[in-house]
Amino acid sequence: MKLVGRIVVEPLSEERLTRIERHVVAGATDAANRGQSARIPRRTFGRAFAVAAMVAAGVVGWVLHGVPAGGPVAGEIAPIRLATEEARTLLDIGDARIESDPATVFAVTRPEGGVLVEMARGKVELEVGKRGTRPPLVVRAGATDVIVVGTHFTVDYGDGHGDVEVRVTEGVVRVVHQQQETRVAAGQAWQIRAGLVASADPSGSGAEIARLQVPGQGAGSHVATAGSMATTGSAATTGSAATTGSAATAGSAAAGSAAAAGGVATAGSVATRGSSSAAVALGQAPEILHDHRAVIPEASGAPVTQPSRNAPARPIADDGVRPSGQIRSGDRRGDLRSAIRAQRIEAALDLGEPNPANAIARYYDIAAHKSGEEASQAFYSIAVLRHLKQAQHAEALQTLDAYLRRFPGGKEYRAALWLRVRILCLDRIDDRCRAAAYTYLHEDPHGPAARVAELITLSE
Amino acid sequence: MASRAPSGDVTAALYIEDVLLVDRCLTGEPAATRELFRRHRHRVHACLFRVLGGNRDMDDLLQEAFLQVFQSLHSWRAEASLSTWIDRVAVRCAYRYLSQRGRRVPTEPLDATEAVATVSHDDGPGARRQLARDGVLRLYAVLDELSPAARLAFTLHEIDGRSLAETAELVGSSVTATKLRVWRARKRIEAAAAADPVLSEFLEPTAGGDVLAFDERSEETP
Repeated sequence: MKLVGRIVVEPLSEERLTRIERHVVAGATDAANRGQSARIPRRTFGRAFAVAAMVAAGVVGWVLHGVPAGGPVAGEIAPIRLATEEARTLLDIGDARIESDPATVFAVTRPEGGVLVEMARGKVELEVGKRGTRPPLVVRAGATDVIVVGTHFTVDYGDGHGDVEVRVTEGVVRVVHQQQETRVAAGQAWQIRAGLVASADPSGSGAEIARLQVPGQGAGSHVATAGSMATTGSAATTGSAATTGSAATAGSAAAGSAAAAGGVATAGSVATRGSSSAAVALGQAPEILHDHRAVIPEASGAPVTQPSRNAPARPIADDGVRPSGQIRSGDRRGDLRSAIRAQRIEAALDLGEPNPANAIARYYDIAAHKSGEEASQAFYSIAVLRHLKQAQHAEALQTLDAYLRRFPGGKEYRAALWLRVRILCLDRIDDRCRAAAYTYLHEDPHGPAARVAELITLSE
Repeated sequence: MASRAPSGDVTAALYIEDVLLVDRCLTGEPAATRELFRRHRHRVHACLFRVLGGNRDMDDLLQEAFLQVFQSLHSWRAEASLSTWIDRVAVRCAYRYLSQRGRRVPTEPLDATEAVATVSHDDGPGARRQLARDGVLRLYAVLDELSPAARLAFTLHEIDGRSLAETAELVGSSVTATKLRVWRARKRIEAAAAADPVLSEFLEPTAGGDVLAFDERSEETP
């Protein structure tokens, strides 16, 4: 019995294959998206407890305040207020997932189509989907606004008396404090303590944190700001937050308010426990949420802080090219590109093969059959040759991305990060380039290209 | 140094290309998804066809197999070649299909009036081709009576031409168990062929009567 090769496979028509392909691609994209969102930690028990706590808080608030005289304005949907005492809470408002630490008090409203998360105290962690052309999401912690278009970060407002810490896990946010704006990217942190602003690399020690005095600001000023916030009229709430039924109940229960010009007066306090008198009132929505047409403004003027202040200034290349610390207008981007070009990149593995295509084939062979340093070096070398010799920048980036995933502790890891910065930033100095530079700076703050990377992050 | 690439005829370049392609797929890049599908669709389809025979659910099965591939792509550790890994997913898909549908797969029905009851080598090419089709249908009708595991083992080894070790790996069983399943399936088919001259002729073509070989030769002719 010999049947191998004797069953003739009936081919599928091109039309059927195309239809299958379309379904497969759509399904695969969904799977990839689900895979990315699956990184959000799930604390089922904690969440259940928090929901129960929210319901209880809402009921208590309702009883304590009685039925409001006017009740919520018809057509307006009450903002969500959360006071979590015992456990972390995960709140999904559709646009974003907000995970809060115990003893956190915050309110969520949608002024002008944006999202305003107003904190009274505690710590929240947000994962925000891309907002596209919609108005941004703003987290307000006292006098500090954190503006985001799509990223993952935490805002720690401590006890609600001025100290704020922002840590960014993915993407870039802009922190506006006292009308000064700072861009904070993945791996970076921004904090204000007792009137001092600091921008820091979270991996560094405390001694490495640069502290800069904010002109005209002193300790305690933020307490006053937070206090005044409570007396401000609320912003209009134009949308509803998609959330759990329990959370909505808690929100509406606390929404004892009367109609007020320009919005709903929602100064009812949030149910809190103990002697703490933390109250969330909806302050004036940030300017950015008043103007639908405006995108997030670029940072203007000198930035408040500069990351890695302690990074020693060093010549960036042996050929004498040294970018100025303050690149002037006009040729600013040109200077920056020159500085990037002048920065040395780690050489590819020398195989004595003059033909790049042949060399890449040999690198492939090494990367496939060897492990450890040899494989790492060969993988990195493929990217170098694709970028420098073959001008295949997109392919080089793909190779680098694969390298960075597979060799996180590889010998060429930092060199690969810089090569990625070089490829992206020589093409265009945009958010992607700046994010790559931030990542490099975070991983290699004292590296040979740290100064150039720093300049990239500060570029407009 | 330990070898990271799979052994065999998978070239190093292809291996690295697979690694890069999978990385792109994992970021949800539609172009990469399309490319991976196009690279492997014919092989996966052929494998499913040989295991299940021609049936009207083939489109859904192929789609389901690739959806499974992309849903579990993150678990590919680059220890096996991507092709082998995808085949394993496809075989699992086929196994699930066989288990859910019972043993009988809705293959194209055998029209009794067209069935050739006796074998005559003097007939023309048309009749031989018909004989070949009938032989295939009768073979798969017997396969329908086997358990899913036995059917997979037999078709992968005897029809798809994979080694016993590779078949065992694909079905997630030991080589010994796989060998036993193949042997039992063969006995069952031989018993059926003893009572069916068409199937018998298909399995052991007499001189000049290899209808399948004839069929393939005629298809190669432009």
